[in-house]
Amino acid sequence: MPGSIISLESLAIGYDGQAVLSGISLAIARGSFTAILGANGTGKSTLLKTLLGLQPVVSGQIKILPPATFGYVPQAIQFDPLYPLTGFDVALMGTFGRVGPGRFPSRAENDFVRECLQATAASEFARKKFSQLSGGQKQRVLIARALATKPDVLVLDEPTAGVDVAATHALLEFISQIHEERKLTVLLVTHDLPLVKKHAQQIIWLHNGGVLHGSVAELFTPQRLAEIFEMEVG
Amino acid sequence: MESLKQILSPEFLLRNSVYTSVLIGFACPLVGVFLVLRRLVFMGVALPQISSTGVAVALSVPMWLGANPAHAEHSEHLLAFAGAMVFSLVAILLLAFFERRERGLPEGRLGTVYVVASALSILLLSKNRYAEVGWLDLLKGEIITIDNYDLIITATTLAVVLAMLALFSKEFLLVSFDRAMAATLGKKVLLWDVVIYLLIGVTVSIAVLSVGPLIAFGFLLIPALTAHLFARNMKQFFVLSSLIGGVTAFLGFWFAYEQDWPIGPTEVVLLGLVYALGFVMKKIFMR
Repeated sequence: MPGSIISLESLAIGYDGQAVLSGISLAIARGSFTAILGANGTGKSTLLKTLLGLQPVVSGQIKILPPATFGYVPQAIQFDPLYPLTGFDVALMGTFGRVGPGRFPSRAENDFVRECLQATAASEFARKKFSQLSGGQKQRVLIARALATKPDVLVLDEPTAGVDVAATHALLEFISQIHEERKLTVLLVTHDLPLVKKHAQQIIWLHNGGVLHGSVAELFTPQRLAEIFEMEVG
Repeated sequence: MESLKQILSPEFLLRNSVYTSVLIGFACPLVGVFLVLRRLVFMGVALPQISSTGVAVALSVPMWLGANPAHAEHSEHLLAFAGAMVFSLVAILLLAFFERRERGLPEGRLGTVYVVASALSILLLSKNRYAEVGWLDLLKGEIITIDNYDLIITATTLAVVLAMLALFSKEFLLVSFDRAMAATLGKKVLLWDVVIYLLIGVTVSIAVLSVGPLIAFGFLLIPALTAHLFARNMKQFFVLSSLIGGVTAFLGFWFAYEQDWPIGPTEVVLLGLVYALGFVMKKIFMR
């Protein structure tokens, strides 16, 4: 599809060759803000991992045009607090894709990481221990790390998990802001329907082994929501 | 202080033992940092023992083949080194493979491997008529019997390990801390895992041959655990671990020499005391 950055063609995803979801055909437009919704166990994380190349496709094709850089923002709670890393150390990892083995980030790369931390309002966490930051603060550092990869697509896996309500709203406002300012394509996995309604343009809704894809206006009608939830409850 | 002057003198009879002890003290904690961060502390216990079993097997091979044991000490040491390396590397790669699959009970596997390896070492030595001739010293890591050749092998191997750690520290850190991020950045996660396990295996093998399994375990983990109490970033963690290991090794040697105590065990007990002291200091001053 013209203007799309990611196209999924008859895609089946799953583990060990067993499909969890199949027959996925859709296109994600460049510069769009797409939310991936679905109940636990419907395959949201599997879809995300497959898109990022962390999981092999069972069948079908993923076309990414032109070769795009993904800025991945995982859930902050997954990191082992044993690592004595500062916020800056974590954000600096975003540059490691450009800096080959045996070489170290240049002063310019270090400065760029400071800019990314500034852009995510995380400069004050640069010298603090990452493990001692709150959920929302960690997410800001992780978004700075993703921006440091100079991404075309920002992929966020439930960034508001374990984050309080006020910080969740602030975080989504911030993601929307950088989406608009940097014309980034955003893929956001979440459970939070009100936030999706407010910020997302497109929705990929996984349920009952199938996939619905459409705009917020198309899928957030009372009738469609009733259908989807009835299916999920059923 | 007289004994300190003796130890520091280039004419000191046991100078190779001092150098080896301090080299192991500085180098082992640097790979130990990754064992601690990857929560593989128990692997740090099991690996030296497995490596030690590799020595026992390698030294038994000539007898099984009906040949006299190599009389040349260096060829015997080379054989022992080969046994230690093969067993360490196979064990670490197998254990890491099961670790990645995240199935079963890792502690159970490591515990079983540890006790079986210990028992096998004892069995092999008890059935080997040449075992008493120096081999027990080799397995105990008798640090007073290190010649120039052993010292050069140890120093060269550890220098290569340190150079690799310094050159590829960012890759090792990234694949340890966030595998998914490493993969999205195009890093070959499995390759870097294998490289880091190889470095751990080589370091464990050389340490086991020089100072024995118990002391190797002590220097792999206790300095890193002590440094972790205070380190605020990775650079501090590496430098502090290495300094604690190296300085404690030297002080332990000095104390053991002065008191006429066994060197390796003295060093490990001193490491334990430093860890305990660090723990108490942290509780008192850094609440």
